[in-house]
Amino acid sequence: MNLFFKGRAVLSGATEGQAVVTHSGFNTYASFFTSIHGSVDQVICADSSNPELFGKDLADKIICLPKTTGSTSGGAVWQRLAEMGNIPKAVLFSQKIDSLAAGGLIIADVWAEKRVITIDRLGDAFLETVRNGDRIKINESGTVEIFK
Amino acid sequence: MKDFNNLKISLTQQEKDVLEGKQGAMLQKIMETVVRYGEALEAERLVDITGKGHFVITHAIPGISPSMEMLDDLIEAGLKAGLPFTLDPVAPLDYDNWWLTSAQKKILDQMYQTQARYDKKMLQLGLLSPEACTCTPYLPEVGNLPKRDDILAWSESACVIFANSVLGARSNRNGAIMDLLCNIIGKVPLSGFLLNEERKATWRIEIRTDELPPPQLLGAAIGKRVLADVPYIIGLDRYLGSDMNQNTLDYLHDMGAGCATAGAVGLYHVENLTPEALEMGDGLLAGNFKTCIIDDNTLQDLLKSYPVLWKEKNARPEKCYLGCPHFSLNQLEWWAAKIHEALMAANCINLKIKTTICAAPQVLAKFRENKKAWQQLTNAGVKFSPACSMQLFDNNLSENETIITNSNKLRAYTNARYFPDKEILEILVSGNIRGDA
Repeated sequence: MNLFFKGRAVLSGATEGQAVVTHSGFNTYASFFTSIHGSVDQVICADSSNPELFGKDLADKIICLPKTTGSTSGGAVWQRLAEMGNIPKAVLFSQKIDSLAAGGLIIADVWAEKRVITIDRLGDAFLETVRNGDRIKINESGTVEIFK
Repeated sequence: MKDFNNLKISLTQQEKDVLEGKQGAMLQKIMETVVRYGEALEAERLVDITGKGHFVITHAIPGISPSMEMLDDLIEAGLKAGLPFTLDPVAPLDYDNWWLTSAQKKILDQMYQTQARYDKKMLQLGLLSPEACTCTPYLPEVGNLPKRDDILAWSESACVIFANSVLGARSNRNGAIMDLLCNIIGKVPLSGFLLNEERKATWRIEIRTDELPPPQLLGAAIGKRVLADVPYIIGLDRYLGSDMNQNTLDYLHDMGAGCATAGAVGLYHVENLTPEALEMGDGLLAGNFKTCIIDDNTLQDLLKSYPVLWKEKNARPEKCYLGCPHFSLNQLEWWAAKIHEALMAANCINLKIKTTICAAPQVLAKFRENKKAWQQLTNAGVKFSPACSMQLFDNNLSENETIITNSNKLRAYTNARYFPDKEILEILVSGNIRGDA
């Protein structure tokens, strides 16, 4: 049975993809540290403090997280990933989006003209339900469907 | 023309004019960015910035800082920050201080080939001075010291948390690039830590350790637990006292860096110490706050959870980087004394590990005036740098090296191994890691 969650579309859009899930914070800078410096086919999560994602490929995935954490350099990382074309398809926040993520994702949208669909306030139940590898569908209004 | 009719944020007529392009296309684009930022943060309105900026965007590397094209566009439009700003530490291009191979120097030359051009652009955009680059801008030697309740748009997680918590200024954790854009437009969304209600603590953290814990390890334990929430920390004044002296400022600075790296903490309160805690006490605790106890077992478990990322896990350490975040003058003097004592006790002259210590250029200049302490460290073989050690790990520059550090922040972003100060001292003098085969 598919499950539906309604959030707020911070950067709206429609897409489908595969979930990668972290229940602790997503450290943007640490996760993409090795992927922003050159041409790479994969975006391997380099954050050794995050056992859920460390070593996983994040390109074209839908990242499910509570909030982002870590260095404020993470703001420029989103713009760089957008320019390199190796961005995740979407980021889905269970909580209200944090200022670091909001700034970075909006700059990627306005200045690099590459949108990472961003939904926040999906609720704790969303993060308790979604699993790595789940197929997810997102619509313009901020509704997220998990295929189970 | 984009549709701004459905904005929830309230804008003044002057802000609306800028948004509609009446002051040029570049200011319009910046205002659009800041307004959309405000919408995302559910800000009621924008407010004026009242203090100098501090930004994380020092390095001419896309992904860490704005692209050269973006800076050119801003400068060509005649724009700069409303007030002078400081930046994070410079890139480690002072090669002699970092024990680098010729291959590493070559990679750094390539990575930073546009740095001189970039530095010039930062001055054009309002950098306070060519030497205004450190992650401790508020030290008296540097001079970017915000006042209580100043409205700021800072980045650099370690600086934001210190400005909010210890200085009582007000900044959100702005990301790279957004920091510069907000300071050019002179406005920031009224949200998050700019609001009294959002500065209330939602966690009560009780410290029950047997002695004062290593600050960056304690900070990481707090950050991991509370993530982006505001902690009210009790029990630290048992060790730190209630006097905000330089030792305490240094401790709180390093603890904050740990909090901000392991979590997204932008503000903490420490009972009987930090300004808002002194004024309001546990009245800072929000309703339904959560509680957590941190003891020695918590910290040991956290320490054990850090993986060793060296290729040869039991290798001997080759290098040690200290001063991430940058050391204060007080910390430099502490390390000079401790290293001297440890070498004397071991009847040694030189450290066994190639060691580099980082601090602001102005702080290093001041430290150099203390001839005895300077001599103690240089005689031991220590080198000094005003740069950021973290940048030596970009592009796998240090993937084959065995580097130790007392910085949990540096550990979190690199393959360096973290040890608390006491163990670092032992390793520096003996050359070996206790317990490793």
